[in-house]
Amino acid sequence: MDKLQIGRHISGQFNEDLERVINNVMHMGGLVEKQLIDALAAVGQSDVNLAKQVLSNDYQINAYEVSIDDECTRIIAKRQPAAGDLRLIMAVVKTIADLERIGDEAEKIAKVALESFSSSQQDLLVNLDNLGRQVLEFLQASLDAFTRMDFETAIKIHQMDDKINREYEALMRQLMTYMMEDPRSIPQVMTVIWSARALERIGDRCQNICEYIIYFVKGKVVRHTTAEDMQNL
Amino acid sequence: MISITPKAQATGSETSFESKLDLTNLTPEQVALDINKLNLFYGKKQALNNISMSIPKGQVTAFIGPSGCGKSTLLRCINRMNDLVDDCHISGEINLHGNNIYNKHVDVAELRRKVGMVFQRPNPFPKTIYENVVYGLRIMGENNRRNLDEAVEKSLRSAALWNEVKDRLHESALGLSGGQQQRLVIARAIAIQPEVLLLDEPTSALDPISTLTIEELINDLKEQFTVVIVTHNMQQAARVSDQTAFMYMGDLIEYSDTNTLFTTPQKKKTEDYITGRYG
Repeated sequence: MDKLQIGRHISGQFNEDLERVINNVMHMGGLVEKQLIDALAAVGQSDVNLAKQVLSNDYQINAYEVSIDDECTRIIAKRQPAAGDLRLIMAVVKTIADLERIGDEAEKIAKVALESFSSSQQDLLVNLDNLGRQVLEFLQASLDAFTRMDFETAIKIHQMDDKINREYEALMRQLMTYMMEDPRSIPQVMTVIWSARALERIGDRCQNICEYIIYFVKGKVVRHTTAEDMQNL
Repeated sequence: MISITPKAQATGSETSFESKLDLTNLTPEQVALDINKLNLFYGKKQALNNISMSIPKGQVTAFIGPSGCGKSTLLRCINRMNDLVDDCHISGEINLHGNNIYNKHVDVAELRRKVGMVFQRPNPFPKTIYENVVYGLRIMGENNRRNLDEAVEKSLRSAALWNEVKDRLHESALGLSGGQQQRLVIARAIAIQPEVLLLDEPTSALDPISTLTIEELINDLKEQFTVVIVTHNMQQAARVSDQTAFMYMGDLIEYSDTNTLFTTPQKKKTEDYITGRYG
């Protein structure tokens, strides 16, 4: 929070506006994190009620996105932010869009819990749980870095997505084998594939959030650059 | 500086909307004014500290900074307006096309013909609109009616005022509105075809609509002249200028292209000033 230096504006009202936006982003992030935790738990424990709860809570995330978006538009119109303030607003607008999509992905994952899996198919879900834990860790680290606008951490965790992608590909191969071995399992395997895909997408979105942090702190656009270039920042 | 090599084609540099000049490495043809180690004292008080910068030709360069930072003083050095101030002494050089304007043999009147200036408050002469525009030309000895008529139309058109005043060229200039008067003064300044146009807070006494007209005009003027503008309005600097120089307590803190200065300033003082923070 200190890096943001929000409190140093001559205009106290501007300070308040920015603080409110940042606090709302943090609340929204917390909510998204909880949705993912619940979705993964619902799948792991085949908890239909918890899954339904995840589905019914998504509207809160959407509401946060709309209201933060509004607030940012208002700040741009009234304050014409420049330099760090402008980059902060841009980073926030993009981050909340990604957070909202992460919320949608959590919803997709929760839907897996609504399907019925035979006991022989339970190990499909174990693999999913493994990927899920890594993605959750990435999300938590990204939100943490965002809260502190921690540039070093953002660079460090940016590559976690590569590991997640490898894990995802390994899981895909495994699921393919399942389908070939037992075509009757295809409907269930497909469900697992969709949610694995959702997890993989969450990883990409966390990576985006890291890029917005880097943009805010350094003013450098690091989208579409190599890992090597990231190291040279 | 950090440089990033692109992995794919999508870096944004190819699709960048505006090309940037490298201000530290301009070719002599690109430079209109080259300020070199300029120091200025009012009595014992130093108002400008060792300013060095190159102002590119055919572009708009803005000076911004808090009151008393020296931006107007620097602007006034460019056509030697500070010569009129008692107890003001200057060291260093300002080169206009390679010639130091502070050389002893420089004719100051001739310099001010090449470097025109417009002030904060519109100051038309208590004469007709027509006579205001041709004032400088008459001093230069131009009396041919046809040439003068032509210059009046051309200057007023360039200053985006022609359509509003063409039917009352021989009425008093003092009957114009503030925004019109300011455009008239700009027409008067460009009638003698200067190379550089200095604008000292040209819109601070104007309403928002007149301000936008003048800003639009500044953008058109840079095709013919090098424009240097001092402004208190940071959004105005961001809108109209190609380069921006941020000054603070007589120092040139940061000088870079406007897009960079307003999105990713390199100096903390600049950041604090343009985001409205305590220094």
